[in-house]
Amino acid sequence: MIRYLWSLVCYFFRPWIKWFLRQTTQMCELQRICYGEPSGAPRALAIEDSLRHSRDATIKKLLIYLDDISDKCEITIETEQEVLQEVIKTVLLTKKINPVAHPDFAKSFGKCIELIWGYRQLCVECEELRKIPYDAENPEHEALLMKLWDSLNPDEILTSRVSKQWQHIGFQGDDPKTDFRGMGILGLSNLIYFAQEYSGTVKQVLLHSLHPRYGYPFAIVGINLTSMALRLLRDGSAKTHIYNSSKTLPTIRAFHHFYCCLFYAFDGFWMQSKPNNMMEFSSVQERFESNIRATLASPTTVFRLNVSVDNV
Amino acid sequence: MGLLSILRKLRSNPDKELRLLLLGLDNAGKTTILKSLASEDVTQVTPTQGFNIKSVQSEGFKLNVWDIGGARKIRPYWRNYFENTDVLIYVVDSADIKRLEETGQELSELLLEDKLRAVPLLVYANKQDLGQAVTAAEIAEGLGLHNIKDRDWQIQSCIATEGKGVKEGLEWACKSIKKK
Repeated sequence: MIRYLWSLVCYFFRPWIKWFLRQTTQMCELQRICYGEPSGAPRALAIEDSLRHSRDATIKKLLIYLDDISDKCEITIETEQEVLQEVIKTVLLTKKINPVAHPDFAKSFGKCIELIWGYRQLCVECEELRKIPYDAENPEHEALLMKLWDSLNPDEILTSRVSKQWQHIGFQGDDPKTDFRGMGILGLSNLIYFAQEYSGTVKQVLLHSLHPRYGYPFAIVGINLTSMALRLLRDGSAKTHIYNSSKTLPTIRAFHHFYCCLFYAFDGFWMQSKPNNMMEFSSVQERFESNIRATLASPTTVFRLNVSVDNV
Repeated sequence: MGLLSILRKLRSNPDKELRLLLLGLDNAGKTTILKSLASEDVTQVTPTQGFNIKSVQSEGFKLNVWDIGGARKIRPYWRNYFENTDVLIYVVDSADIKRLEETGQELSELLLEDKLRAVPLLVYANKQDLGQAVTAAEIAEGLGLHNIKDRDWQIQSCIATEGKGVKEGLEWACKSIKKK
């Protein structure tokens, strides 16, 4: 109730406050954010909030256009500059900003647009990959699975396609094909990226997963972490990390990187929890997720992979 | 008719809590059945490590459904969840013909457990939509259900991903509790 009243107050007074600030600072809200907030998540989140609250017809139309092209995944390296120039031009005109007097605004504002709608597009891309179920009849899928094996075990040859060896890397049985479930190709791609891009870290994590007392099924936990990463992406919690870590348009690589950071952090969390057995996974995972959410709530958060060697 | 109406029929037992235990091999569809019972999205399940629990509540009646992971490595932990079980629900992937023997083995071991003595057994013959799926009758035969004399049992064919047959099974489970 109080929340509702507050939003009502905000709704009525926002234009007045904005008008007052505009008169005193000679700048519109977007400019004040671009100059006042540090780059990355603090700035992009504030710009996003400001644009979403705008009641200007041109801005509203602009947002519909941006939502539409990002939902269709049409923002690519080729089209990006053209889209950004168009958006910046519209905003400069609508907000009556003189580009000569404010040369930095366009650059800083464009960067925010790139992050905000790149993120939205990333959600769509991940969903598309998730919706592709693993299909053992598809040679491309099979090739990906083999790539996962080879990058995780460069020194060990898989004796046959259906083999007990899959359990060494934490699949449930002799054939991983049924283990991807609702995470589909996204789950598999996440694992491959982790194994290929961070071979040192992955070795260390895999070693932990084989720990005689605190071990866990590497691949299955990985697929559950894909689900968690996707949850955080969808509900917007991952924005802070993605906005802070992306130097260019966020693509699927940004999601893979986020996943790798989560996996690395989970591994540490699990080992530190010293669980009695695998049945504690649900509760440990829950605690881990609420920790991560708390960290992501801070606008300066950016996860990194610490490639330090420790001894177990 | 939904879950609500099933529960409404059980109004005579207000505030009664039931403990339902969902077991079966990995990839049988236990979590999908659980989600389907709770009317949640069934398209995004992941292999269960540990367990999931959902309470389906209505008119003071509470069904606590425990879904325990089915991977071979965690099957030894199943026994930690036997206590006070009112209904044992065993899920079989009807299309996984190769592992029919394995699932039968696991079930017969469960039926010998002291803590599960006389607990009604509901078997879901899941994934009936898949081409290679065998019928519920064939599964019953394969599992030797007809030889069970010490408890109530029922086999229910279902397609958990579409929610088909799931509530019918639950209906039987509730009935068999009422009889007791």
